[in-house]
Amino acid sequence: MEGRFPNRMLPYALLFPSLAVVVVFLIAPAVQSLRLAFYEVSPFTGRGLFVGLSNFRVLLGSDIYRHSLEITLLVAAGIVVAGMTVSLGVAVLASQPLRGLGLYRVAILWPYALSPAVAGTIWALLFDPSTGPATLTIRALTGLSPNWMMNGAYAVWVVIVAASWKMLGFNVVFFLAGLQAVPAELREAAHVDGAGAARVFWRITFPILSPITFFLFVMNSLYAFFELFGLIDVMTQGGPGGATDILIYRLYQDAFISARWGMGSAQSILLFVMVGILTALQFRFAGRRVFYG
Amino acid sequence: MSHRRPDWCARVAKALAVAVGIAALGGAAAPAAAQQPVKITLWHAMGGARYDAITKDIAAGFNKANPEYALEPLYTGSYAETVTKAIAAIRAGNPPHVIQVFEVGTQTMLDSGAIIPVTEIVKPGAINFGDYIEPILNYYRVGGQLYSMPFNSSTAIIYYNKDVFQKAGLDPNKPPATYKDVEEMGRKIVSSGAARAAITFGWPSWMLEQSHAMSNKLYADHDNGRSGRATRVLFNEPFGVEALTRWKRWADEKLLAYGGREYAPNKAFLSGEVAMLMQSTSQVTTIEKAAKFPVGTGFLPRIEGQPVGRSVIGGASFWVLKGSGRSAKELDAIVKFFKFVAEPEETAKWHEDTGYFPATKTAVALLTKRGWFAQHPNHETAFKQMQQGIDSPATRGVLLGNFVQIRNITDTAIEKAVSGKLSPKEALDEAAAESNKLLAEYGRITK
Repeated sequence: MEGRFPNRMLPYALLFPSLAVVVVFLIAPAVQSLRLAFYEVSPFTGRGLFVGLSNFRVLLGSDIYRHSLEITLLVAAGIVVAGMTVSLGVAVLASQPLRGLGLYRVAILWPYALSPAVAGTIWALLFDPSTGPATLTIRALTGLSPNWMMNGAYAVWVVIVAASWKMLGFNVVFFLAGLQAVPAELREAAHVDGAGAARVFWRITFPILSPITFFLFVMNSLYAFFELFGLIDVMTQGGPGGATDILIYRLYQDAFISARWGMGSAQSILLFVMVGILTALQFRFAGRRVFYG
Repeated sequence: MSHRRPDWCARVAKALAVAVGIAALGGAAAPAAAQQPVKITLWHAMGGARYDAITKDIAAGFNKANPEYALEPLYTGSYAETVTKAIAAIRAGNPPHVIQVFEVGTQTMLDSGAIIPVTEIVKPGAINFGDYIEPILNYYRVGGQLYSMPFNSSTAIIYYNKDVFQKAGLDPNKPPATYKDVEEMGRKIVSSGAARAAITFGWPSWMLEQSHAMSNKLYADHDNGRSGRATRVLFNEPFGVEALTRWKRWADEKLLAYGGREYAPNKAFLSGEVAMLMQSTSQVTTIEKAAKFPVGTGFLPRIEGQPVGRSVIGGASFWVLKGSGRSAKELDAIVKFFKFVAEPEETAKWHEDTGYFPATKTAVALLTKRGWFAQHPNHETAFKQMQQGIDSPATRGVLLGNFVQIRNITDTAIEKAVSGKLSPKEALDEAAAESNKLLAEYGRITK
C-alpha cells in the first residue's frame, strides 16, 4: 500500500532532524578533514599552509606509519581469527542444555557492556609487570617474568586478548542466535546417518552459520580498525617502543595530542580508504562463500 | 565514539542548567546581579592527591579570602590533554582565564599569540618575583621576560627502599650518587635476592633530558631553544647515546625493570619488587604515604666522569589566556589569585601536600622554622639538589616546538633500545631524525 503525505513539505520536515545530524556531525567534518589533509595547519590560529600531497607522501614514505599499518593488520587478524574462534566455541558451549545457563550467558555478555577504559584498566592491572595476578601466575608456573611494558610482542598479544575478550559478548550473542536457527531435524537426520558431532558441526551447523560468521567477520574487522583507541590509550599508549601503535592511535596522537590537524586528517582519509577497500574485498571474496539458505 | 557520550550528556545537562539559571535570574533585580562575584576559570591537570590540594585548599581558600571573586577550577585530564583542550578552546574563542601548562608546552604557549605574559598584568612589586628560587624563575623566563606564573615546580630525584638496601647488605642511608653506584649496588640487590630488580624510572624521556642537564649537555641547538627557535635536537650525540647505553646495560643485566611512562612505575617500587625509582619530586608525599617500608631519597644519580650541571625543573606553571579580551576586574582577579598562590602559607601548604617545590625563599624559611624539613627529610632532597651545580643554558630546561610529540618519539626510542629492538645509537638517530622533521614543520607553520 502506498500512502501519501497530505503536505508536500511534511516528509522533508520529518527527515530534517536526522539529515541535520548527519550533515553537521558526519558530512561536514568529513569534508573538512578532506580539505585539511592537503594543509599544514597552525594549531592556534588555524592558519593553513597548502602543501598538496605532501602529508600523504610523508605518511606513505614513513617507516613509523608502515609499522603502524602492519601492527593494525596483525591485531585485526588476531581479533578476527582467535577472537571469533573462541567466541564460536563459547557459543556452542552456551547453547548446550546446562544448569544455570542464564547465569553463564549473562557472564559471557558482561564484557561487552564495559567501557573500553574499564576493560583496559582490568587487563592492565591483571598483567601489571610487578603486581598483576596474571604475571604472578605465569611466574609461578613457568619461572618467567614477562613484562609487557618492555616486550613488544607480548604487549601485542595482551592487547589482542583484551580486545577479543571485550568483543566476546557481541560475537557470542550473534552466534547463539545463529545456532538456534539451525534446524534440529537436519542434525538429527545426520546423526541417524551416522555422522559424528564434529562432522555435523562442520557440514551442517557451520554452513548454516555462515551469514552470521560473515557479518561478524566484517564487524570485528571494523572494530579492530576503529574502536581499539580506548583500550590502547588505557593499556599501552601505543608502546612499548611503538609495538601497539595502531593506526587509529597514531592518528589520535598526531591530530589531538600534537595538534597536527593536517597530518591527522590525511591519516583519517587513508584509514577510511583502506577500510573501504578491505570491506569491499571481504564482500567480494568471503561474501561469495556465504550460504544464505 | 562511545566514550565521548558522557561528555556530550554533560554538556546538554549544563546547557539546560544554564537555561534554567538564566530563567531564574530573570526574576532577580539588576542590582543583585551587580554583586555577583567575578568569575574566573582555571583549567588544571592535577589528579590524585594533588586534586584535593588544588581544589579544596587553593581554590576554595582563595574564594573564601576573596568573596568578590569566584575561581572555578576544572580538572581537564593529563597535562597533554589540558594543552590540547586549551588549544581547542582558544580556537573556539572561549578559553579559560588561566591554564596550567607543563614545561613541555612552554614553546607552544609562547608562539600561540593567545597569552598575556604574567609581568604585563602584575604591577611591579605586587608579587615579589625576586623571592622565587632562581632555577624555577629561569625556566619560565625567556629573553628576560617572565611569561607564566610559577606554580608546581618539581625535579627528578631517586627514591629507594631502605629495607631492601639493608637486606642486600648496603648502607640504608647511602643512596647511589652515580650510574656506577647504581650498577654496583644494583648487582648486590639482585644477586642477594633482596628485590627482583634494582631500578626503574618514570617519564623516560624527561630522565634523558635530566641526564643531559646533570652533565651540562645541551639537548637541542640554539642553547636548548633559548637563544633562538630550536631547529635540531642533540640527544643522539655521543652523550645521549652513552646515557641510553647505560640504561640498556641495566636492562641486559636485569637490573632495570622498565615500568612504562609517567607514574606507572611507582607501583613496582611500592610493591617492593624494585629497590630504586627515579621519579618526579611531586610524588614524595604520595609515595611516603603508600609505601609499607621506610623510603629514602637521594640526588638523581649522574653519569660519572662528566662535567657538572644541574637537574632541570619540571612540573607546570599558570598561563593567562587573552580570550576575546579580559575586563579589568577579571585581570584583577587573576592577579589576586597569583598573589594568593605566592603567599608563604599557601606555598608551604602546597609543598607539604604534594612534594612540589616550596617555590619561594620565604616559604622555605617558614617551613624550616616550623621544623618541617627536620621531620620530613625526603621533602628537602630536591631543594638541596637544586642548590648544587651550575646555571647554564643546558640546565635551564629545553624549549621545543611540538615538544609533546617529541617526548613521545624519545619515549619510543628509549623503549626500543632497552628492549633490544634497536641499538641505543640507532634508536636515538631514528628519533632525532623524526624530531627534526617536526621542528622544521613547526617552524614552517608558526611565524
